[in-house]
Amino acid sequence: MDVSTMFDYKRFALGRLAAIAPQYLPFADAASDEVPLSRLLRLSLFQITVGMALVLMVGTLNRVMIVELQVPATLVALMLALPLVFAPFRALIGFKSDTFRSALGLRRLPWIFKGTMYQFGGFAIMPFALLVLSGYGEAVDAPRWIGLTAAALSFLLVGAGMHIVQTVGLALATDLVPPEDQPKVVGLMYVMLLVGMILSALIYGALLSTYTPGRLIQVIQGTAVVTIFLNGLAMWKQEARNRSRALAPRSEIAFSTALRRLSARPGMLRLLAVIALGTAGFGMADVLLEPFGGQVLQMTVAQTTRLTVVLACGSLVGFALASRWLGRDGLQPMTVATLGAFVGVPAFLMVMASAVLLTVPLLIAATLIAGFGAGLFGHGTLTATMRAAPRDQIGLALGAWGAVQTTAAGAAIALGGVIRDVMLLAPDGAQGAAPYLPVFGLEVGLLLLALILALPLRRQDIDTGLRTTTSLPTGSPAGPDGLADTRP
Amino acid sequence: MSNDPDKVWPTGLTLREAEEVHSYLIDGTRVFGAIALLAHILVAVTTPWLG
Repeated sequence: MDVSTMFDYKRFALGRLAAIAPQYLPFADAASDEVPLSRLLRLSLFQITVGMALVLMVGTLNRVMIVELQVPATLVALMLALPLVFAPFRALIGFKSDTFRSALGLRRLPWIFKGTMYQFGGFAIMPFALLVLSGYGEAVDAPRWIGLTAAALSFLLVGAGMHIVQTVGLALATDLVPPEDQPKVVGLMYVMLLVGMILSALIYGALLSTYTPGRLIQVIQGTAVVTIFLNGLAMWKQEARNRSRALAPRSEIAFSTALRRLSARPGMLRLLAVIALGTAGFGMADVLLEPFGGQVLQMTVAQTTRLTVVLACGSLVGFALASRWLGRDGLQPMTVATLGAFVGVPAFLMVMASAVLLTVPLLIAATLIAGFGAGLFGHGTLTATMRAAPRDQIGLALGAWGAVQTTAAGAAIALGGVIRDVMLLAPDGAQGAAPYLPVFGLEVGLLLLALILALPLRRQDIDTGLRTTTSLPTGSPAGPDGLADTRP
Repeated sequence: MSNDPDKVWPTGLTLREAEEVHSYLIDGTRVFGAIALLAHILVAVTTPWLG
């Protein structure tokens, strides 16, 4: 293995992280007198567990299953896409937690507790499910369906838990601060997600540098314990009991009505379409980047896991720049998002070039740029969504954003895996980089399509008309449509 | 001690509140029990013991 590149990598990642940290201090003004920054940071620990789960599944396990456990890539991609079955329900989860009935007057905590339980349960059975699936030990003689259903169940549990924890956790964070600071808080949460991804990718890379089945069990179950611990710490005493909410009459808005009201906003559906296309474009290579590095460029598990680190570092830079441009320089969110998609196109062209030239540094640079574009795009579109949402529907809007984003990413991941495997089966497409190239080409196409759709949005300026909504007096008891404020 | 007839000794929760807390405990026990059972079955498939 090439030790010098590996070392540079880690130093680069850590140096980048250290340089960026002070940039995020502006988020501190999100902490009002009632909610100090320390409490917000503690709450954001749940994002670290979500990041851990994402890196473990999309990055590390993806490679371990394909290369070490020799599970077919289509099966792996479909398994990894399973959690995304729950993605469309994120909007429903956000809405349900908004209107949750509880004798204790809690709205968010019961959901975070349930989500954490599912996340833990999935991780607890996942290593054994994977070993049975790969026919390890006596499992060779076991019927195939046991491994398949158990692995599917574990991924479903982790995915469901992750979606619930993230959606409701973000909603809780949004509850805790005044409306004008909510976008900054969500920014803080996403930075914590990336920090969690970077840290856990480094740790998994180190722990799994020598792979054994026993080590796999330790790592995944260790993740389960850390998850329940961090989520417990994050939610401890965050949400106040609220007797008046417990006694208040049930609000009678149907989910479909709320959803229709949200999608009737001008430009909303187009924005969601841009989010879907752009996310699919950026996300399609996610599960293929590591096997691509391993099989085409002969990188080790530790090295390919670090590719995910580089991707996350790029996103972090994108987030930092995007929040500066959106906050201080007053750029429109859609301008930033368009720029992100624009940067993504050459990045994936570079990935294709690295397959032809067989140069690892080019792949690393391309990964960094792709991450940067994804960061700009993600921040821009999320901010645009939040600004486009009425104040009493921010939870639902967050859910819709997450639902569209994760569904698109999941569909793209599954499609990418299927395309690669179909190309592998083709008589003359089997060797080298050939199976991967069409996927990277498709990503370029999707990003171009997102750019075309986004450009009119930028002109049309969906958020100027809505800024009036966000700049309502904070003490106003009723939203723009006369509905009572749902904040405590 | 409380004058509120709904409150249950010794927690100071009302009956409905206490039942809700209890429901979370029951849910947790069920889910964790099912997970533990499943994990044991899967381990027994890969590396059987007692046999």
